[in-house]
Amino acid sequence: MAVLLIAIPLLFAFVSILNKKYAFYLLALVAAFNFVFSFFLEKGMYSIGGFGPFGINLLVDQYALIGLWLLNGLFFLTVMINLKASKKLATVLIVLLAGINGLLLTNDLFNLFVFLEITGISAYLLTTENKKPVSSFNYLVQGTVGSGLYLLGLVILYSMIGTLNMSDVISRIYTIGATPTTLLLPFMLMFIGLGVEAKLLPFNSWVKGVLEKAKPLSGTLVSSVIAGTILLVFGRLLTTVMVISNADMLITIILIATIIAGEVAAFKSTRIREILLFSSIGQAGLVVYLFTHGLLMQGVLLIIANVLSKFVLFTIGASLAEAAGDEVEELRGAFKNNKLLGIGFTVAALSVTGLPLFFGFVVKLNVLLGIFGSYDLITPIIILVVSLIEGVYFIKLLMKLWYGESNVQIKNVLMTVSVLSVAVVLIVLGVYYQPMMDLVAPIKDEMIMIIQGGSF
Amino acid sequence: MLNLELVVLATLLGGVVAYLLSMINKRVGSAVTILVSGAVFSLLAYYGFGNSIDQTVELIPNFVMFKVTALGTFFAVLVSFVFFMVSFFNPFFAERYKYPNAFNLLYLMTLAGVVGVFYASNFITLFVFFELVVWTSMFLIPMGKGTKASITYFVFSTVGSFAMLYAIIFMAVGFGTTDIDTVLAGLTGTAALIVYGLLLVASFAKLGAYPFMVWLPKVLGNAPDPVSAVFSGGIEKMGAFIAVLAMIKISPASAMFEAVGLPVQNYIVGVIAAVTIIVGTMMAIRQDDAKKLLAYSSAANGGYILLAFTIGNSVAITGGFFHIFAHALASTAAFLAIGVVTYRTKTSKISELGGMIHHMPITYVVYLAAIISMAGIPPMGGFISKWLIFQALIQNNLVFLATAAFIGSIGSFLYVFRPLAALFLGQKLPKYKDVKEAPLLMLIPMIILTLLSVVAGVFPTLFLPMINNIMTELGFQTLMTSGFQIIGFNGTLDPALVAAVFGTGVLVVFILFMIFPKSRKVGLMDTYTGGEFIYTEELLHYSADFYAPLERLYRKEPFVNKIYDSIRIKVEELGAFVRYFFFTNKPEVTVFWIVAILLFIVWGDII
Amino acid sequence: MIQIASILLVMLGLYGILTNRNIIKIIISLNIFEVGLNLFIVSLAYVEGGIDPILTSHSASSTLSFVDPLPHALVLTAIVIGVGTTALGLAFAKKIYAKYGTYELDEMGVE
Repeated sequence: MAVLLIAIPLLFAFVSILNKKYAFYLLALVAAFNFVFSFFLEKGMYSIGGFGPFGINLLVDQYALIGLWLLNGLFFLTVMINLKASKKLATVLIVLLAGINGLLLTNDLFNLFVFLEITGISAYLLTTENKKPVSSFNYLVQGTVGSGLYLLGLVILYSMIGTLNMSDVISRIYTIGATPTTLLLPFMLMFIGLGVEAKLLPFNSWVKGVLEKAKPLSGTLVSSVIAGTILLVFGRLLTTVMVISNADMLITIILIATIIAGEVAAFKSTRIREILLFSSIGQAGLVVYLFTHGLLMQGVLLIIANVLSKFVLFTIGASLAEAAGDEVEELRGAFKNNKLLGIGFTVAALSVTGLPLFFGFVVKLNVLLGIFGSYDLITPIIILVVSLIEGVYFIKLLMKLWYGESNVQIKNVLMTVSVLSVAVVLIVLGVYYQPMMDLVAPIKDEMIMIIQGGSF
Repeated sequence: MLNLELVVLATLLGGVVAYLLSMINKRVGSAVTILVSGAVFSLLAYYGFGNSIDQTVELIPNFVMFKVTALGTFFAVLVSFVFFMVSFFNPFFAERYKYPNAFNLLYLMTLAGVVGVFYASNFITLFVFFELVVWTSMFLIPMGKGTKASITYFVFSTVGSFAMLYAIIFMAVGFGTTDIDTVLAGLTGTAALIVYGLLLVASFAKLGAYPFMVWLPKVLGNAPDPVSAVFSGGIEKMGAFIAVLAMIKISPASAMFEAVGLPVQNYIVGVIAAVTIIVGTMMAIRQDDAKKLLAYSSAANGGYILLAFTIGNSVAITGGFFHIFAHALASTAAFLAIGVVTYRTKTSKISELGGMIHHMPITYVVYLAAIISMAGIPPMGGFISKWLIFQALIQNNLVFLATAAFIGSIGSFLYVFRPLAALFLGQKLPKYKDVKEAPLLMLIPMIILTLLSVVAGVFPTLFLPMINNIMTELGFQTLMTSGFQIIGFNGTLDPALVAAVFGTGVLVVFILFMIFPKSRKVGLMDTYTGGEFIYTEELLHYSADFYAPLERLYRKEPFVNKIYDSIRIKVEELGAFVRYFFFTNKPEVTVFWIVAILLFIVWGDII
Repeated sequence: MIQIASILLVMLGLYGILTNRNIIKIIISLNIFEVGLNLFIVSLAYVEGGIDPILTSHSASSTLSFVDPLPHALVLTAIVIGVGTTALGLAFAKKIYAKYGTYELDEMGVE
């Protein structure tokens, strides 16, 4: 049954090519269907075609469900907000939807590669909206190299252990008795491959080119929806598949460098979209750091917070930049006439910075508690310093946007409504965060059960 | 029984109501702030001193827990009183703000946060409300002039907050709980020293101690006047609260500095406090803007408070709490008086004003009383606290710190005299011929504050029970009093007698003034020298460059500002480097790094 | 042997991407990278002395030594994906030429 989440979009993608006029309505229909249907899924392992353990399986557990609800919902909202842009790119968007769902659901490593490529190609096509072909080309080259490396790592792993099921990998590793040294190469290749897409330094030179002139549709999708999916996939792989214990030093250096570089580069920027994209890079580094250190729950919470905040920030930021220009100096006082959008933007920005009353604060507190809990005393200092830098540039941005003389006016009722509702969600979750905690709690146990038993 | 949680929630709700009402009519919204803050103050005072505040929390989820202590009640009542008094000014300043609706909302949210800080039971609650105050007050600042001040405020405040957060999580992981009393009592050894230091960093950042002094003049100079008053009288006291937690509740056992009988770390804090006093006083003397002058004065007084808590015996700590009380009253009154001047004349630069006493006599008296209190002259409240602090300093043979405190006292008289003489006294400027006295609604809070200051100075024993409760709660001896007198180490202070002597002196001088002939009035700008006409009278005006000979001694700014600027520039340069190096237009950078990392791994494998 | 050759092809492709400035040449290097990758995957499938993985009348039992068919399926998919990516890359190249009039990255100016 979970297959429908992938099959229906693919089917309608083909149909929409035949019938260009109705492509957008098909898109809306499929997105709505996906969002609604994802609430009716039951947990379990679905075997495609009934080939038993040898074939491709789809795994639906709490982790996947959270991702499905969140990302399908935001995809639907983003598409609805940007009607004009969506009409032109309807087919690509339907394929993207299929790719995202596939990434979240799959339990097979090669299937992951296929969906990674599908999502990647749709992303490359989306970025053509920016009218900057060289950046899209860069993105294409880097993405393909990354996926290729992932494939290389994948087949080396297969040749060692003989299965491609994600849930069986660890048990097979123990059966064979492979040492971490022999496993280092395939896992590092897979890590690098995913790292390109996940914006880790030093693999992320495509990010600036693609997102610095991003339109509201493509920018939001790439930085919020696709980024969230890739990070969730990365998380699942890091926890259940990869056993990279002796590359800890290297990985930690890469991740800490990502975090610092992202935030510092944002500090220097004076353009609103650049600030947002560098902040995304920094946060992505932090998320992967949490996953590599086993802090699964905190990682998922941070992904949720980031996806929601970046949705709001990019939608408003890209719309402002399109309307009035990219430099923050030109946008001074933009919120004077757009008070509701300003409130939404402020709430999301304060949430990313981690100020109380908002969900980001709860997440940050949990993250710090988790890191401290593993008796690591230096990393919290780095994270706190980075948070300070992040806070400073966001506050600078906010002050400039609220106080100035600008006559920008954005009239998009659906955007205002959805942005405000997400902002309200961020506030509510900041105060009554227990439901979110309960939602996220079963993940760790289920993951352990999967690793040990192969199913649950 | 007053449910504390309801108070906090009602304040927040009141803020939302104020926001909505402000959209209809700005004055009504501001009136809501007056009502709500007044309600908060009176409820807290009435129930708090009657020891019947209920601390159960039902609606807000489980990380927020309150605990009613005498310490918390003291601070909360004082700060909510300040907010209440200042809120009377809100309706008048409402038109000058860019976002008046948001102002009212944020004003009340800040109040709610501050009350929450003082009554917090565990550190997480403390931190949540602490940060809440930071960002709500941060958005209040740019409604005055310019936006850079709020960024500076945010940076320094966050440095302090994050130091505290590190300490909190450090303790949480170590103890498994974040309840304030349990955790602070259980700290030992190096852990105690680390937490002590981190909490003090937070306290310094909030109080504006050296080297974090930079944000105070920028913020208080640029913020709207009610906000400056609230900052100086209310929000900085949060820093004092944290200092109390750190210094009095933790007792890190470490080497004693034998000569003065204090532990080493206390003495270091004392030195920092002394430096704060001196630098604050010196910088205040040379200021031309009345608000910046008062800002530096707030920083210097913060130094006095820290100094009092460093010494650690009952007289000093009582003096510290009394100084918090007296300084809050005096500083709020002073800022409000300057606020009146700004409201009527649209400027607060001393060199542009003069002779305001003729237009605003009541404001003049308020300001006079406030600065007398801040300088520590009887018969005001500031004298009592400074007397207590000096007693303790001398008793403990703290020569260096005592010298700094005395210099600060004398200097404080210099700097408070400058606005008084230059702004209020002196001769009228023709520009401000039609300036009137402040409206009645503004006069009320100022008069109340002044009266309280006077009463605190003449009959301090009326306010001592409030402080004695805290002392017994903290485990110290209370101050010995007999009737209306206070008994210190080296003698007895009879404030009523002192006030009577002071009053008699004033009366005598007044009678003499009335008897003797008056001086001749001359136009202010009518100057000439040596037969030549002057074309730049403003520079030779009576109040320009008031203390020029003294100021020439230290013309340059303190060097700390340059360090902060260079840190910011270094971070920006790092950002530029990252952007240049890693984020270029060609796909090769990524591939290059991929190859490099792969080679690194394979090399490791082979070897 | 084949494995070494295919890894060499992969490295050649990567080197090509690193050093080339012409868009078309970068796409060609990308293709070489993918070809090497696919060859590598196929080479992994080989089992010494194995026969085709097809059940016929001559080799009816499934316990005989077959060459591993799974990587063959993977390669088929990977080839198709490579074709799609190359097509997209060429479309981008066409657009770049229309916009800038040249294929050299150096002549396009820093963005």
